[in-house]
Amino acid sequence: MLAETQRLLWRLITAPEGVAAALAGDDTRGGGLRAALTRSVRGDDRLDAAQRVDIYANMYFFRILDVLKEDYPATLALLGEVGFHNLITDYLLAHPPAHFSVREAGRHVPEFLAAHAAADAHPCAPDLARYERALNDAFDAADAPVLTAAALAAVAPEAWPELRFALHPSVRLIECGWPVDALRAAADRGETVADLLSAPTRLCVWRHELAVFHRHLDALEFVALADVERGATFAEVCAAASELNAADASRQVADALVGWLERGWLRGDS
Amino acid sequence: MAGFASGEFPALGYGVGLRPPHYGHVLETRPTVDWFEVISENFLVAGGRPLDVLTRVRADYPIVLHGVSLSIGSVDPLDRDYLARLRALAERIEPAWISDHLCWSGVGGHMVHDLLPLPYSEEALAHVAERVARVQDALRRRIALENVSSYLRFGESALSEWDFLAALAARADCAILLDVNNVYVSAFNHRFDVGDYLSGVPVERVAQFHLAGHSDHGTHLLDTHDHPVCDEVWALYARAVQRFGTLPTLIEWDDHIPAFDTLHAEARRACAVAARARRDDDAGRNAAAAVAADHRA
Repeated sequence: MLAETQRLLWRLITAPEGVAAALAGDDTRGGGLRAALTRSVRGDDRLDAAQRVDIYANMYFFRILDVLKEDYPATLALLGEVGFHNLITDYLLAHPPAHFSVREAGRHVPEFLAAHAAADAHPCAPDLARYERALNDAFDAADAPVLTAAALAAVAPEAWPELRFALHPSVRLIECGWPVDALRAAADRGETVADLLSAPTRLCVWRHELAVFHRHLDALEFVALADVERGATFAEVCAAASELNAADASRQVADALVGWLERGWLRGDS
Repeated sequence: MAGFASGEFPALGYGVGLRPPHYGHVLETRPTVDWFEVISENFLVAGGRPLDVLTRVRADYPIVLHGVSLSIGSVDPLDRDYLARLRALAERIEPAWISDHLCWSGVGGHMVHDLLPLPYSEEALAHVAERVARVQDALRRRIALENVSSYLRFGESALSEWDFLAALAARADCAILLDVNNVYVSAFNHRFDVGDYLSGVPVERVAQFHLAGHSDHGTHLLDTHDHPVCDEVWALYARAVQRFGTLPTLIEWDDHIPAFDTLHAEARRACAVAARARRDDDAGRNAAAAVAADHRA
């Protein structure tokens, strides 16, 4: 009976159009939802059973909507209040929260948005959401020591070709079709967020100490970092880079490596 | 029963819920508040600022871990990953104790992220008691469970909420976190007597009080944690102190969060209300004893 009660409440609380509409829809199909509710929940002269469940239904939707507005502020600004509200209504039907932390409730928003009608009007929105998710992930990703130049200097030259670097746990690489970081910056300043002209964009998001940063990458640096992320050896990283820029790849990778060390993008030994 | 073991629920005094808007203020000014309670789930993360803040605050203050996702009443299996992470956080932070709510928060593998009431039935009692015992084994400590505000009641409830709470605490050997505001809110919503509730809760099981504000929607009160504690809840808190004693008390404020000083002032007021309630109680007892002595003489 406890299981039946909980399943009934779950069904009504998460009904997209509210409890009354769910009951009315079920009535027309000849279902027993209303009878089950009447058996399970006591109403009174102040609020009937459906109105009482509806209090929880409203709180369910708006609590998660508020969390996702905080997680995706620029996506919200781009789509507008109504557009974002409708997106999340549809999203929660496809991806009801399944993790103990409400912080995970919006995990699948970027992919869901990519296949949603909202993206037709705002083609850069899925990439923007991907970037905002990366900012959230970098914020509380695992702490880890960073690889220092001194530690790297201790590696024997003959060991370099087989060396495998690892990215710091907070590093996120994003390749997309719009410079979406400009939209988030505008939203953070309280400025208007409007659709962008497309432009190939490669971003690295990371946390240094407790603050989250981002930086634009050129094609060669992005490919090299993506290879590092995949666990490639340094020789493989250089080989892949040379396919992009045969003349000068090794020097460019070496220059980039200096920056990675300075910014703490590589993980050191713990 | 003998009550709690020494040191299990230490007399922390008057604390406030630590929320992100106050992190900077607390770390910079080290206010004289007695202790902080934090939402456990906000710190069940891999790293970064939240854990850094909690570690630094913990260096100077007692901390209680207050969870919202245990979902102790759900028919779903207990979330082993959640319990393992909570235990790891407890090992790192060494909280004074760990609490959560007498409720369920999801079913079928999904979460509502809310504190839903249970039917107060023998079936639910047996189900929850067995799960509390397993959680206490997993966390290697006694936990405190909080009474929630509720907006609906179930036809299958055969017990009052306070009888259910008392039976659960006895059967599962757990503590009770008595949220005075939630008693007040649910009493209005379900038309029960707050006095019946207080007198039905066993004195030796209550480890802590919560105080918070709510909002009035006419047909019902909503536990919104976005207002100061109202006069009626202060009065009920005084009655609770007279029945259960001076226990660690915490002010919760989660929405429209005011300046830290406002929150701190509420904690100081709780201290003053509790002290006056004890004095009034003592005066009442002394007067009654005097009347009894006169009567015998």
